[in-house]
Amino acid sequence: MKKTIFILLSFILFTTSVAFTFDLSEQANAKIKAIYIYNFTKYIEWPELYKEGNFVVGVLGSNSALMNELSKMADSKTVGSQKLEIKNISSCTTTDKYNIIYVLPDNSAQLTDVINKLKGKSTLIVTDKVGLAKQGAGINFFIDGPKTKIELNKTNIEKYKLKVASTLVEMAIAVK
Amino acid sequence: MLNLKRILFFVLLLMITVVTKAQESKVNAAYNFLMKKQLDSAKAAIDIAVTNFQSANDDMAWNVRAYVYKEIYKVKEKNNPQSTARIESLNSFKKLLVLTTNPEYKQTAVNGIKYLTSTFYNDASDNMDTAHYKIAIAMFEKYKEYYPLIDTSKTNLQKKDIEFLLALASTYTEKFKANKSKQEFLNLTKATYSKVLAIESNNISANYNMGILYYNQAVDLINQSDYDLDIVALSDIQDNSITLFKQSLPFMEKAYSFDPNRKETLLGLSGIYFSLNEFEKSNMIKQKLKEIEQK
Repeated sequence: MKKTIFILLSFILFTTSVAFTFDLSEQANAKIKAIYIYNFTKYIEWPELYKEGNFVVGVLGSNSALMNELSKMADSKTVGSQKLEIKNISSCTTTDKYNIIYVLPDNSAQLTDVINKLKGKSTLIVTDKVGLAKQGAGINFFIDGPKTKIELNKTNIEKYKLKVASTLVEMAIAVK
Repeated sequence: MLNLKRILFFVLLLMITVVTKAQESKVNAAYNFLMKKQLDSAKAAIDIAVTNFQSANDDMAWNVRAYVYKEIYKVKEKNNPQSTARIESLNSFKKLLVLTTNPEYKQTAVNGIKYLTSTFYNDASDNMDTAHYKIAIAMFEKYKEYYPLIDTSKTNLQKKDIEFLLALASTYTEKFKANKSKQEFLNLTKATYSKVLAIESNNISANYNMGILYYNQAVDLINQSDYDLDIVALSDIQDNSITLFKQSLPFMEKAYSFDPNRKETLLGLSGIYFSLNEFEKSNMIKQKLKEIEQK
């Protein structure tokens, strides 16, 4: 009776198919910030003048993941009847009208300049570096272990004729 | 009276001889049918032969039966993973292995089992896709059932087992990626990689993939959230994703410890550290990755 040869096929090609993308980490981090910022629009009240035209969020500094995420948010959400507009800026001007200015961590040194230029305006200043809620920011992102949280300085917010809902105050760490 | 007993004895002896000869002739007939490729006739003859007590323990009969069914499998059922002829042939070779003292028959049985078990393995490999993976599982189970007959050391079988499980986990991942609401496939993927790690805890591929699975689950949880989510719900989402990132970390660190220069692992590890807000560690790993890429 004749012999039959046998050849084993292989499964090797299948072994590493789970895809990894680092961008997803940055995207997730940006998404958390975007959700927070959208919450600020719900819990803070701007004066009538700032309820006209677009609701403008200025991002001071460079972070492409954050810009992408905020732009996606602007495409799908509004603030009341206002269209959301996201502006990436490298410095703050006295002429532009912003509802929110988000100063990114690498641009924290510009905070003093931002505060000076926003005097008499109704802009919520959001920062992202330890201690900045005590140096003029209304809301500051901070990291508590692996978690992103917010601290809130009510006085700094109200300086700009903004009203903050007690719910947001309760959900943040109070800074004076 | 004595004469009658003698007559009865001789009649009985004659009957036994006739039956035995008849069975021998059935085995021979089956063999001849096999040589002439008349497989149905060969099958009919050999099945009668082995059911009779005279040849039920005859190695020659089982050898012929194994070959008859092996030929039926090859000629008629090769493309059918559910082939019953293959099982019949394997069981006949198995019986032959137990019965025979003839070294040539033993070798024949080993070769036959080796060939047929390899066809189970190949069927498992051929069917390892999102549509036919259940057939692949069934085929590999058969492979595992018969393989110890030809190789009693566990090492080789474990190696094949790992190869199979990694492929199966990848197939489950594909199923999950195609429809992320089907959580069962994510759970099956994790369970399958866990089986690999139970066999070989240092398996780089299983460790890496487990790390990525938990990582992807964590980022999906955040990235699929709506912008309308309130801060309390966002806090819960963050807590759940942190738990998943932390579950991901030990697997990726283990994969990294076994192969510190593998780009995918470095990328994965830096992503996990970043997501846990351990930016210093994340940047350090990124820097290492950069250095490797520049080499």
